[in-house]
Amino acid sequence: MSELLVGTRKGLFVLRKPPGRGGKGGFGIAVRAFPGEVVEFATRDKRSGRYLAGVTHGQFGPHLFYAEDPAGAWQQAEGPAFPASLNAAVERIWVIEPGVADGELWCGVAPAALFRSGDGGKTWALVQALWDVPERAQWNPGAGGMCLNSICPWPGDRNRLAVSISAGGVWLTDDGGKSWRRGVKGLVPRYLPQEARHDTHAHCVHHIERAPQQPATLYMQFHGGVYRSDDAGESWIDIGTDSGLPSDFGFPLAIDVNDPNRAFVIPLSSDMDRVTPGGKVRVYETRDRGGSWRALEEGLPQSQAYLTVLRQAFCSDGASPLGLYFGVQTGELFGSADGGLSWRTIASRLPPVVSMRCA
Amino acid sequence: MPRVILTGSIRQHVGGLGAIDVGGDTAAAVVRALETAYPPLRGWVVDERGTLRRHVKLFLHGSAVGLDAALGHDDELHIVAAISGG
Repeated sequence: MSELLVGTRKGLFVLRKPPGRGGKGGFGIAVRAFPGEVVEFATRDKRSGRYLAGVTHGQFGPHLFYAEDPAGAWQQAEGPAFPASLNAAVERIWVIEPGVADGELWCGVAPAALFRSGDGGKTWALVQALWDVPERAQWNPGAGGMCLNSICPWPGDRNRLAVSISAGGVWLTDDGGKSWRRGVKGLVPRYLPQEARHDTHAHCVHHIERAPQQPATLYMQFHGGVYRSDDAGESWIDIGTDSGLPSDFGFPLAIDVNDPNRAFVIPLSSDMDRVTPGGKVRVYETRDRGGSWRALEEGLPQSQAYLTVLRQAFCSDGASPLGLYFGVQTGELFGSADGGLSWRTIASRLPPVVSMRCA
Repeated sequence: MPRVILTGSIRQHVGGLGAIDVGGDTAAAVVRALETAYPPLRGWVVDERGTLRRHVKLFLHGSAVGLDAALGHDDELHIVAAISGG
């Protein structure tokens, strides 16, 4: 059974495809939860089977829920919430990521902060040391708010973690979150005046992903720039210039968990436009660590299609051949079961898609 | 004891009740007491700073009030979801 968790402006949709079912991609809506509420992010912890969702109610704010069955009762977690002494409040839940230790999960929120759960997502506590870094005073919110948007555990090592903040750079820990250091060497924030780039702390990192088979390898979609790190996020190499991309601006980024040389981006035209360039919907793939990119377009709209794909709305399933899926702000879902060689529209009239994960 | 009247969409967090008698001499105290009695309500009316959520309104005797509003023994405090947008 293949399963997709689609967070939208009007609830969570769980799409399922029975094995061997053919037809139009084979996926159908099996569950809708949280009707009318914004599901910013939903995922499933494959270790426990538990589903987790960050949900923002229009009047009553953001809350995290968990369930063993998405069609059943969802329980409200205790947190993530800031300690009262900090005079801060969670505005939005951006990402939930299973950790390495048993029951460990991480959660990134706006304003940019990291929370940890040790009990499978039932209770959450602030990672105080990252909140306390002095540089936080110099972070700046991006258009989507000041968010901690990506969390990359290190397979097999519970102490090592990389997170990214828009706009606050990449932060690394080797001691389970007790201390943090920046990993921004090589990033060029072109959106700042030349003379302001060197000393800035406002690196607008849109998305990072770690290659689990080679954990020192990370890929990044920056606010104008695509990068790779070969040293676990300490420094970054430009792989977006003169390498075949129509634009190096964008948000979505996916990797092949079985191949550290392979990554995918969906470029958008620019930070002033944020739609698929030239009305063509194309996923770009590299198989050589960003040395070159090629367009994957068969089955995707190639004219008069000005779509917006948000940072959490692109995912891969880790299978072989690789399944790739993304959703757009006009409510369409596209999927590929052959690593991006061909695509199908698997849903076309959903609410605006905010996030998408393979369960 | 003041009575709190809850809007429909958050009654699920207080056992489905629409009206609850709860002790407190201000709106803030009443909300805190309500959260203590019904932990699932935490974070829905006020955030973790104790600030009223932007699109939640309190009404007392037909007027919008803040969390600092004083409540008498027989007062009814209405917690409603604000009409936001168009």
